Amino acid sequence: MIRTVETQVLIIGAGVTGTGIMRDLALRGIKCLLIDRQDLNAGASGGNHGLLHSGGRYASSDTETAAECRHESDLLKRLAPQCIDDCGGMFVAVDGDDPEFAENFPEACAKAGIECESLSIAEAKSREPQLSDKVFAAYAIPDATVDPFRLTLENVNHSMQLNGSSFMPHMQLTGFEVAQGMIKYANVLDTRNNESIRIAAEQFVNAAGCWAMNIAQMAGCDDVSLVYSKGTLIVSNTRITSGVVNRLRPPGDGDILVPGGTVSLLGTSSLTIDDPDNIHPSIDEVDRILSEGEAMLPVLGSSRFIRAFCGVRPLIRSAGSASDGRKASRGFSLFDHEDQGLGNFVTIAGGKLTTFRLMAEKTGDLVAARLGNDKGCQTATVPLPSGGVVHWSEPGLAARNWCKKADPSDLILCECEMVPQSSVDEILLQAPGAEDHMSLKAIALRSRIGKGACQGAFCSMRVTSYLYDRGVYEDNEGMLMMRDFVNERFKGIRPVLWDRQIPQMELAETLHCGMTGLDLVNKKDEPS
Amino acid sequence: MTVAVTDFRELARDLLPQGASYEACIACGLCASGCPASGLFGMDPRRFIRMAALGLNEELSSTPWIWTCTQCKRCMYVCPMGIDASVLVGAARATWPMDKKPSGIVRSCQAQMRDDSTSAMGLRTEDFLEIIEETAEEIRDDDSRFAKLQIPIDKKNAQFIINQNSREPAVEPEELGPLWKIFDYVGADWTYSSKGWAAENFCMFTGDDDVWKSMVETRVDAINELKAKTWINTECGHSFYTMWKGIEKFGLEADFEAGNLISYYAQWIRQGKLPVNSDWNRDNLKFTVQDPCQLIRKSSGDPVADDLRFVAKILVGEDNFIDMQPCRSANYCCGGGGGFLQAGMTSERRAYGKRKYDQIITTKADYVLTPCHNCHSQMEDIGKFYGGDYKVVHFWTLICLSLGILGPNERKYLGPDLAGTGDE
Amino acid sequence: MKRGYRHIKTRLAVIGAGIAGFAASIFALEKAIPVVQLGHTGAIAYTTGYLDLFGVSEAGIIDDPWAGLEQLRRTEPEHPLSRLANEDILTAFEIFTTVLSKMGIGYTVPGSENLHGLLPAGLIKPTLSVPATMLSGIKAMRRNEKTLIIDFEGLAGFSALEFKANFAGKWDQISTHKMSFPGLPSGQAYAETMARAIEVADTRQQLAEKIIQAVNGEKYVGLPAMLGMHEPDEVHADLERLTGLEIFEIPTIPPAVPGIRLREMFERVLPARGLVLEPQLKVKHVDFADQKVHLFLSGPLEDLEVEAETVILATGRFLSGGLNAGRNGLDENLLDLHVSQPPTRNDWYRLDYMDRRGHAINRAGIETDIDMRPLDVNGRPYSDRLFAAGAILAHQDWVRQRCGAGLAIATAYQAVEAAGRFLHG
Repeated sequence: MIRTVETQVLIIGAGVTGTGIMRDLALRGIKCLLIDRQDLNAGASGGNHGLLHSGGRYASSDTETAAECRHESDLLKRLAPQCIDDCGGMFVAVDGDDPEFAENFPEACAKAGIECESLSIAEAKSREPQLSDKVFAAYAIPDATVDPFRLTLENVNHSMQLNGSSFMPHMQLTGFEVAQGMIKYANVLDTRNNESIRIAAEQFVNAAGCWAMNIAQMAGCDDVSLVYSKGTLIVSNTRITSGVVNRLRPPGDGDILVPGGTVSLLGTSSLTIDDPDNIHPSIDEVDRILSEGEAMLPVLGSSRFIRAFCGVRPLIRSAGSASDGRKASRGFSLFDHEDQGLGNFVTIAGGKLTTFRLMAEKTGDLVAARLGNDKGCQTATVPLPSGGVVHWSEPGLAARNWCKKADPSDLILCECEMVPQSSVDEILLQAPGAEDHMSLKAIALRSRIGKGACQGAFCSMRVTSYLYDRGVYEDNEGMLMMRDFVNERFKGIRPVLWDRQIPQMELAETLHCGMTGLDLVNKKDEPS
Repeated sequence: MTVAVTDFRELARDLLPQGASYEACIACGLCASGCPASGLFGMDPRRFIRMAALGLNEELSSTPWIWTCTQCKRCMYVCPMGIDASVLVGAARATWPMDKKPSGIVRSCQAQMRDDSTSAMGLRTEDFLEIIEETAEEIRDDDSRFAKLQIPIDKKNAQFIINQNSREPAVEPEELGPLWKIFDYVGADWTYSSKGWAAENFCMFTGDDDVWKSMVETRVDAINELKAKTWINTECGHSFYTMWKGIEKFGLEADFEAGNLISYYAQWIRQGKLPVNSDWNRDNLKFTVQDPCQLIRKSSGDPVADDLRFVAKILVGEDNFIDMQPCRSANYCCGGGGGFLQAGMTSERRAYGKRKYDQIITTKADYVLTPCHNCHSQMEDIGKFYGGDYKVVHFWTLICLSLGILGPNERKYLGPDLAGTGDE
Repeated sequence: MKRGYRHIKTRLAVIGAGIAGFAASIFALEKAIPVVQLGHTGAIAYTTGYLDLFGVSEAGIIDDPWAGLEQLRRTEPEHPLSRLANEDILTAFEIFTTVLSKMGIGYTVPGSENLHGLLPAGLIKPTLSVPATMLSGIKAMRRNEKTLIIDFEGLAGFSALEFKANFAGKWDQISTHKMSFPGLPSGQAYAETMARAIEVADTRQQLAEKIIQAVNGEKYVGLPAMLGMHEPDEVHADLERLTGLEIFEIPTIPPAVPGIRLREMFERVLPARGLVLEPQLKVKHVDFADQKVHLFLSGPLEDLEVEAETVILATGRFLSGGLNAGRNGLDENLLDLHVSQPPTRNDWYRLDYMDRRGHAINRAGIETDIDMRPLDVNGRPYSDRLFAAGAILAHQDWVRQRCGAGLAIATAYQAVEAAGRFLHG
């Protein structure tokens, strides 16, 4: 007997776009169910810089996208300030870069309506002391950073509060049941327990990011055509600059350094790939990013990096874009699939983090119209309220909060990021997507656990012990989840293993294998 | 509290060596586990390092924990990466406004700045000289063996120049005698200086580098002028460190070498100049020794710790000596250092000292020997507070006791068990 | 200021303050070779306290390490343990554990089978010799005895419930109890703090009373490793006497007691036995002259020069500072010795962290001849006076193979033997 779940709108894909649509519709009074094959931000939404583009980066090549970025970033700074670090940014050209490109930059910005202030070299260096001596041109632009995890958590949390819309992680779409030009059901599999579930909805929204083409095809639609562009970034142990630093040249590897609260992120590479699954950052990419980054900021050469990660940009295929992801449009497309013979299916694809709200608005307009809802989009005016257990992903917050609270009995479990027991408790009970037997990975996604220098080496063990103590696990499930967590973290650590991260890794392996025996645990039973 | 916010990450970049920077921290917590200040105000050395890395500058700039860290450098000792958290603690202290810093430390430093005595107890040189002369006079009168005792002042080209902790001349002049008698006994060629003669330096603990430097400068100039060969402190820990470290840190010209009273005791014993033994210890009283961090771990290391034990064992009898554990370079700070004793944070200081108290109690010693005034006072205080019945003594007391030259008024730190011992 | 200068002459200088370095000093003292040991602390702090010989191969857990080594000689002839005879390895192990026991930390006599050492999260580690304070837990698990596991409030990373849950099916008669440690303020508690506090008789008495109240018919009681720092055997015996129970320790994650305990014991006891130990300073520079080796160190107040006839390098791997991993390759830090290593950084680690074959970087290191003399790139000894021991050696994966202590002890033994032959030859 297959369980059936009913909703007004089913949204597939819990990235920033999917959760943005969820909130957009919830604000119009439409009830949504959001599902994801994995968990929040499992795709590109969790694999990017967190750069809230002023538009400067696109000003020279794509005025329309640049203007869109400027408009959307202004809106978000106003409406979701809790997710944003309005740190400002600059573009710098270093010896060897094209001086003409640099010269034309202010004019290109002006065309897109982006504020651009020319800086003297001394001014630039006083703002960012780590800048290279080889910088010959610098402009300040209103770049900022956004915490994409906070953003999705807030979106989901607000939607749940607004009208009881809900989120179900670990739901793998297995197919659609179509009748008379309408999708009746989406069939999904709960990957934790292999339960099959049927979801009935009036409208189906495909916001699956780089998997959107596959999802569309499952519904029999062949009109969505994407180019997959893999981008790799590396994370430093500490924050290196106060604001965003962009290289003033046509986009290339390693040309943006973005602060991420307590750390900095350097990226990105762009590599066109065939399959968005099973990707991992490679050592080649890291070396390339780093050697380019060093041209702007020589300190990067001696900085400690603790992690690399990558995401896949889902780009809309256009003429000439097949081989080069960087030349593909950064714009987005909304597919109504009506010419494919479906009346209640929508795909939103392409776009970027900065413009997610606009993408959600356009999608929401179409879905609402089909449902006969004429309330109109409100995300451009209603602030994103800060509420619920969504703030623990903010870098430094747990630490600051712990210091302020000054309760020594609230034991710190993650020492690198100073995440205490009480944060874990809150996440277990109330975070969007919280569930029984919650995994270490899911807790880490909703907090800073595992994101510091030790990359989960210690906190994986301390949090697991704590979860056993709380009775979350009763058999070796917790141990297996710990192993999965450290395995997953390792994929990101591996490409930055040199210098000071090597002793850290050596210690981690001593702990995980010698002290815990994780290398000998089998899936179901005791060590062999 | 409002404090100027310092960028600790930036500061760490400047202050810490490349290989042992905060970037090298592997977050293992050995520093925190091995630090008696861990837990006070919710802080510990690892947390300090992590907060610096996270950029929690406001919190670090205002946490009172920095006044409970005694800067003993045990964190660095147990850290596989050799990271020194105490350096940033010193820098954090510097950022506090003067009126917010613990007033006891500030007052002590201000007293030092008053004249060129550099005395933290505000003892002026003329008073110092007068007290010396009076005390010497008493000894000459009371003990015929020292009828010709002279206390040299400003003697040029002496082998030793002695910096004198102010506590003795200021509050217990009778305690000056034992060391003079020892010098007299071995025929040491020594002198005090009338300038910069004091042996304490609380200005380092306020975090105020300029004043620290000026204190050291006054003393160094005085020693250079007198052309003494070796500079020695009385039995005192921190000022030894502040002096040589100050000379190094501020690049001062010093034409002398740093000597250590304990090592000279050991040398004189080996040479037969100080024929001490443990015959006086008829009741087999048990002794342990406290290695002052400033002297051992932070300055001269285990060779001086070995001298300390050599002297102690000869003085009290090999079988009557029990080491605290851990000891020598790994020893715990008692909790009196870093200005903690003067900082007025009594309950925190005693909580810190609990580890030292446990260490002492485990040895079952009747006496703790230590060549450091701060250690001395702190161990007496925690002993009283936690109910221990041990006593704390200087080396000079036992040396004179063993030699039969300890005067009746030089026994204030001895218990009734030794009240009359060795008093011919 | 005039810096001091200290000059020490010795026949053997050991560089490194881990198990291999201290084992080398112990063997040298046993052979009456004057020895100076130099080095700041490193990875020794992270040990469980178990002395592994050879516990895991790619096929899984090894019960008979001696037969396992015979097999290893066929599959991994370059492994440092493959090149030593079982008898020599056993001799080294026996001397080492005997000396340790005499120094104050009792260890079990190495036998013919591996013991199943308990791990904090409820798995086991095949190991050859364990501290006496940990032995009865192994017995209790083997016999499925009724056992109470106690954990402490404030001690993060050790959960009796986790221990129990992961032993389920193998050791079913476990009950758990959480208590506060007597006399500690609430909040974070470290095993090290407890270990020191329990050396005070009153505290021990209070803990014993709490344990007696907590047991409910169990004869065995397991605690996180905290039974004293410098007299664990006495503390252990006294707690058993006070409670009338069989008590055992379980290793904990760092910062943990067993490693600190070993290091403090070495630092405490070996100097009294004649070792000249410099536990704070790292060797900065080494000069190989014709007849002597000169080692240079610099302390806060003095420079130290050690003039040695022979040197054993036991500086460990990356954690301890023996090796360095640059972006372009691996180096040996002190002498720039030739490091056998994978061709590129891409080959250092596999993609799968827990791959049972382990990572190539862990098998990188210094190659030696049979006399433990480091070899240059052409296979010639760097010097007749230089020997290497411990984790710095190539062609072993001590973490995965559970052979760290065995490697350290056996190669230190071999190195001291070879140095001894050189000195007396």
